[in-house]
Amino acid sequence: MWLWFSKLGSPKWFYELSGKWLPWLAAGMSLLLIVGIIWALLFVPPDYQQGDTIRIMYVHVPFASISLAFFPLMAVAGTITLVWRMKLADMVAKTAAPLGAWFTALALASGSIWGSDIWGTWWIWDGRLTSMLLQFFLLVGVISLRSALEDADAAAKACALLSIVGCINVFVIKYSVDWWNTLHQPSGSFSLSDEAPNPPEVWVPLVIMIVAVYLFFVVSLILSTRNEILERERRSQWVQELIGAN
Amino acid sequence: MKAHRQKKLTIILFVAAGLTVSVGLILFAMSQNINLFYTPTQVAEGEVTIGQQIRIGGMVKEGSVVSANDSLQVRFETTDFIHAVPIEYEGILPDLFREGQGIVAEGTVDAAGVFHASRVLAKHDENYMSQEVKAALDAAGVNTETHPSLVAPES
Amino acid sequence: MFESIQFSSFGDFVEMGGYAFNVWSVYALFLLFFFINLYFPILKRKQIMREQKRRLLVNREKVSIDSKLSNNEMDKNDS
Repeated sequence: MWLWFSKLGSPKWFYELSGKWLPWLAAGMSLLLIVGIIWALLFVPPDYQQGDTIRIMYVHVPFASISLAFFPLMAVAGTITLVWRMKLADMVAKTAAPLGAWFTALALASGSIWGSDIWGTWWIWDGRLTSMLLQFFLLVGVISLRSALEDADAAAKACALLSIVGCINVFVIKYSVDWWNTLHQPSGSFSLSDEAPNPPEVWVPLVIMIVAVYLFFVVSLILSTRNEILERERRSQWVQELIGAN
Repeated sequence: MKAHRQKKLTIILFVAAGLTVSVGLILFAMSQNINLFYTPTQVAEGEVTIGQQIRIGGMVKEGSVVSANDSLQVRFETTDFIHAVPIEYEGILPDLFREGQGIVAEGTVDAAGVFHASRVLAKHDENYMSQEVKAALDAAGVNTETHPSLVAPES
Repeated sequence: MFESIQFSSFGDFVEMGGYAFNVWSVYALFLLFFFINLYFPILKRKQIMREQKRRLLVNREKVSIDSKLSNNEMDKNDS
């Protein structure tokens, strides 16, 4: 177990393994994304209340739900950095922050465009929207904290702490619609029956889009982490050999 | 695990737990301010000061919508099925506005208990259905009308 | 399969039941974000590779010049 753990922490090992996985992940992502988008745009029946704006859900929900994964991911990586001082964990944490800010921004933007006609407003300071905006600013905070501190080691530690603290906001976002009354609707439940709310014709394409966007998140994270490895490990023997062979 | 690592991990866990509890308590204490709107019951029972800018959330009562012929003036009642509050509004309503729809209105209550709205927003629920299924269920007399959460969480 | 397409014409599809702006702007944002987030890491990887290769070559040259210099010095010493 400990052997496996320390092996996993080795940038070289991660670089080689992720290189093998990337084509498969990218292929799966492209396939699911094409199927998901075509399904959502052409085949999903218009909602009885919202008409064709329901198609916005197939972008908004995947991005919104996956943007909740960033703080827990950065917190786990941060704890590993603080306790075991594993290099790879900090590289993942560093590349996850800007990606998370983009995901959160897209969730906010798509939700805003959806709400502008359906709710009658682009923005309202309700529990869900406000806590999501807070997550965006927290992520911007993590990014600026890292660039503000010159000492890379101190920056890694400070970001790790902020990421652990920021996890609290994830619970606030998740349960805001249940704890308080908000304009934002709560999460829907899926039904297997064709004649109930949220039947398979509504949620099957949603699940496809969620998996596709998850794969997109993993692929982008791996791509940027590999760049980070090449930069930070550029003096090591194996990176020099790799570049020489290229 | 080495002793100093265990110590570090314990400190991190304690700090995280402490912060979670304190944030939880703050949110709990502030929950009335975080709530986006008052319910018609809260307004009817006089929890709201007259003239104060507030939001009210409820369902548009069936058969209560009266709109003027020559202007955008509209009158309707909003209800949480316990109390109903009359609302007066002049302006453009959101696309989803109709009887039986959840709404959130911004404005003030007057001495007579009438709510003068400056803005009306639609609150929709998390249930999505195709128009055909909805029509079929309505024809069969199945009650599919699901109401967005109207009752303020107990706090 | 094609019977279950929700639009009877291409015009209807573009119109999106009157919500053309909302639906298409969200999908446009999505695709823009998608390509930017894949393009920039790939571009950066190329830059890193180029930069490191240049450094590697400079180092090699330096090493070979250094060794030539020291060889010359040795030659001088010999003569």
